[in-house]
Amino acid sequence: MQRIGQFVLAIALIAALLLSACTAPAAAPAAPAGEAAAPAGDTAAAGGVTMSFWTRDSNQAQVRQLVDAWNESHDNKIEITVIPSGEYMTKVGASAAGGSGPDIIAVDLIYVPQFAAAGQLADITESAKSLSYFDKLSPSHVRLATYEGKIYALPFNAEGSILLWNKGLFKEAGLDPEKGPTSWTEIAADAAKITALGDDKYGFYFAGSCAGCNAFTFAPLIWANGGDVLSEDGATATLTDPSVAAALDFYRQLWADGQMPAGAQVDTGTDFFNAFASGKIGMTGSGAFAISQLKNDYPDIDFGVTFLPGQNDGQSSFAGGDSIGIPSGSKYAKEAFEFIEWLTTEDVQLEQYAKSNSLPIRTDLAENEYFASDPRLTTAAQAMAMGKTPYSLVYNQLFNDANGPWLKMIQTAIFDGNVEQAVQDGQDEFTKIMAEN
Amino acid sequence: MTAITNTARVSGGSTRKRWATLRTLALYLLCSSLLLLFVAPIVFSALTSVKLPQEAAAVPPTFLPSTISFANYAKLNLYGAGVWQYLYNSATVSLLTVVGTIVLSTLAGFGFSRFEFPAKNVLFVMMLAALMIPFQSVLTPLFLMLGALKLQNTLFGLSLVYITFQLPFGIFMMRNTFDTVPREIEEAALLDGCTTLNMLWNVMLVLVRPGIITVAIYAFLNAWNEFLAALIIMTQESKFTLPIMLTSVRSGYYGAIDWGALQAGVTVTILPCILLFLLLQRYYLQGLMGGAVKG
Amino acid sequence: MATMQAAATAPTGKRSSMARRRQVIGFLFVLPAALFMLVFFIFPLLMTVWMSLHDWPLLGTPEFTGLANYITMVQDRQFWSSVLFTTQYTVLVTIPIFLLAFVLALLVNLPLRGVGIFRTGYFIPVVIGLGTSSLLWVWLLNDRVGIFNTILVNLGLADKPIVWFAQKYTALLAIVISVVWKTVGFTMILLLSGMQAIPDEIYQAAMVDGATYWGRLVHITMPLLRRTFALALVLSVIGSYLAFDQFYIMTRGGPKNETITTVYWIFNNSFVYFKMGYGASLSLVLLVILTLLSAAQLRILRDDTTY
Repeated sequence: MQRIGQFVLAIALIAALLLSACTAPAAAPAAPAGEAAAPAGDTAAAGGVTMSFWTRDSNQAQVRQLVDAWNESHDNKIEITVIPSGEYMTKVGASAAGGSGPDIIAVDLIYVPQFAAAGQLADITESAKSLSYFDKLSPSHVRLATYEGKIYALPFNAEGSILLWNKGLFKEAGLDPEKGPTSWTEIAADAAKITALGDDKYGFYFAGSCAGCNAFTFAPLIWANGGDVLSEDGATATLTDPSVAAALDFYRQLWADGQMPAGAQVDTGTDFFNAFASGKIGMTGSGAFAISQLKNDYPDIDFGVTFLPGQNDGQSSFAGGDSIGIPSGSKYAKEAFEFIEWLTTEDVQLEQYAKSNSLPIRTDLAENEYFASDPRLTTAAQAMAMGKTPYSLVYNQLFNDANGPWLKMIQTAIFDGNVEQAVQDGQDEFTKIMAEN
Repeated sequence: MTAITNTARVSGGSTRKRWATLRTLALYLLCSSLLLLFVAPIVFSALTSVKLPQEAAAVPPTFLPSTISFANYAKLNLYGAGVWQYLYNSATVSLLTVVGTIVLSTLAGFGFSRFEFPAKNVLFVMMLAALMIPFQSVLTPLFLMLGALKLQNTLFGLSLVYITFQLPFGIFMMRNTFDTVPREIEEAALLDGCTTLNMLWNVMLVLVRPGIITVAIYAFLNAWNEFLAALIIMTQESKFTLPIMLTSVRSGYYGAIDWGALQAGVTVTILPCILLFLLLQRYYLQGLMGGAVKG
Repeated sequence: MATMQAAATAPTGKRSSMARRRQVIGFLFVLPAALFMLVFFIFPLLMTVWMSLHDWPLLGTPEFTGLANYITMVQDRQFWSSVLFTTQYTVLVTIPIFLLAFVLALLVNLPLRGVGIFRTGYFIPVVIGLGTSSLLWVWLLNDRVGIFNTILVNLGLADKPIVWFAQKYTALLAIVISVVWKTVGFTMILLLSGMQAIPDEIYQAAMVDGATYWGRLVHITMPLLRRTFALALVLSVIGSYLAFDQFYIMTRGGPKNETITTVYWIFNNSFVYFKMGYGASLSLVLLVILTLLSAAQLRILRDDTTY
């Protein structure tokens, strides 16, 4: 392949020569070709190295703040590259294949097994286990960062799915605004009362065309009800579990009864947050991120936070967020771990995370001085701590792909009303994809 | 209104004339309403981009902005590396593509038009055949090649791809343009002691300028607007071209799409294309019609 | 392709060293472009064939698997349904484009004063990128903030905002509307150029014979436009067959994967599932389909009409 590079240069040179050979005062227009030969190399800052760090865009404000704090106090500097979360896996995979990987990388925790299995991440078992608070780190993060007994990443940020309810609408509908629903039955009953208010108000909302949103907010309903979508080891699909059909049927009924706005069906995730923020939605599954966002940008909306429930009781959450690891091609593995260790220290967790309404990634810090003033944040932190996360090497294809079987199952069941068929097809396609890989 | 239709031109009589005027009026009305349909989406988008952000997200939407505000543009600039970076990326890729395409297709067009050499026809047919083969079918290897050349995520790498896909049309266009230049001019220049390149540079380029402009507009617009290749080859947010950046604006951060910022982005992306077209319309349509009639 | 003949007419000069030198010079002029095509087109094309015979993951080493990808393809329901869907889309988008483009071309071919403004106006959407226009339309058609729906409701054409992307056929209709808007100007100009190439004398002779406007349209314009029609058809069909941007942006393949086009499915396999070898084999099939389509349409083209 190196040859081709020379080849291209040769062409550019020929083109340039052909033109400059002419006596006319030509500023050879082919000149830009030369730039390709010298891609800008990164030079180490005096006194330290500069590490490149890739992260996704959804939480970039927080990440920038973190990195700024690090850069102010350390000689080794970090440079962020932001990759859009919508195509994170695609983009990171592509760059890795192109051999232009970073020194540190933060990935959605669900992709860590896949990265580790592909040999893209360095084994950091020893350094990780030497941390005194290793057993206090978010259990879901650590579980997903473990591949064949070795640890490849540590938690970077945490996100837990929760149920939001609009206290104003609850009051308007004659419901107790301080009591959030604790079961599907209650959700349905409360939703009906809120929808009955009319005036474009609806009891419930979910992003009906968003695969990832529903892994995040719909799967916990199944878990809370005692079911699961994958077996514990992640090797088999368990969509035929009765709780899956029950949860689908719960949403189907809400939809059929008109408890959700029609636009929910086509929401590819673009209004996942907006819908509730409009103040016209009674309840919706969401995440810890929504709490600070609502507090900051929509102070008029009085909302409560509770756990995603099961049919009659039970509660669960999707423990999400990003993990941070060191790509196997990293030039500065040692320096990179220093950054990772710094992130997980108590001081940073409290002053950088909790203070700005982000969940700490350590269970021993779930209750802290900053969260004390707002129990909603503590609820989210508790949700995260008890949350589950599917472990799969093909997570993207199963759950996150906009054209994958997970979303197709949800749409068939809820909008076409064919739960049985949806579950069967889903199980078949899950099994097929898992067998292929 | 002195405009008359084809029919009116041959027929006489005052009633007929009145009918003709009426028909003309009706035609104007029809044409104008159609014009409205074609222009309205762009106008609505531009109008929405200058609404206040809250108004841009209003349900149901308003038609006209109640106040003019550039807040949506300011918000757009908060996305990723900022809109100026993306404008720079798009402009750089487009200009590199334009320059590369012009140089390569002018040289080749001249060669095909004026010289005889072995395998010339085979080469020419091959170039044209490339027009028939969708570039989508070679994107995967191109992507891997650019990776191997360390050109992934570079504006230069993307423009190499664009140049390649512009070449068949460019060469075809330039060869046809050179064909229209009388050989006598060239011979006279050569008799005056010009070398071939000299002559190409000093004499021919002036004569084929319309062709070059046509090739340039097409190269520019295609590079500026292209979506799939840019989506695949550019993987870092700071290297995106405008259309790719807009789709990530549309995805929104954490499910909060910003319609106002999106329409501001659409307006920023569309405007240069429309301006370029309005300025150089003659050349653009010439290219289209020339290619069509001769094709 | 008629131009190939022009290229074949070669003045045969004396075989002197001068002529040989000119051969070399001519070749050198063409060389840079030819090398470009070789490196960035012919080579990738051959590589596509090579890749299609491999299990080629994005990360990890490719493994030769012979025709396995092609066997997988036969059973790939989504692929064939995407081919079918793309065909459906091509038909559904081509018909309105042609009808409307023909009407528009007739209108802007009228000797009205200021007709150039209309021609320019109808053509403007063509210079906008398909990706950008899709982002524009996805907003116009949105059920909450979209003006298109508001207009429909205000005109009484719908009693409440339509959720366009909820059903396959309304989604398809929405995309057809947006694509017609964006591309009809292109076909209009092609047809217009065909109309203007018809010699005036033919019309004048017909008028002397007392032919009406409609008579001339049916008996002169339409038959003589056959070749232009065919050309426009080739371009439109190929363009539609390669549809990706509008579906990627507006429907994301939904609802329930019912609007996944062929290129979309190739993109998914190569760049989302990272089955690059399989993606390559799908690309080749697409290429064969398109070559057959072009060949068929070129046959129609070759059926020359003389004025």
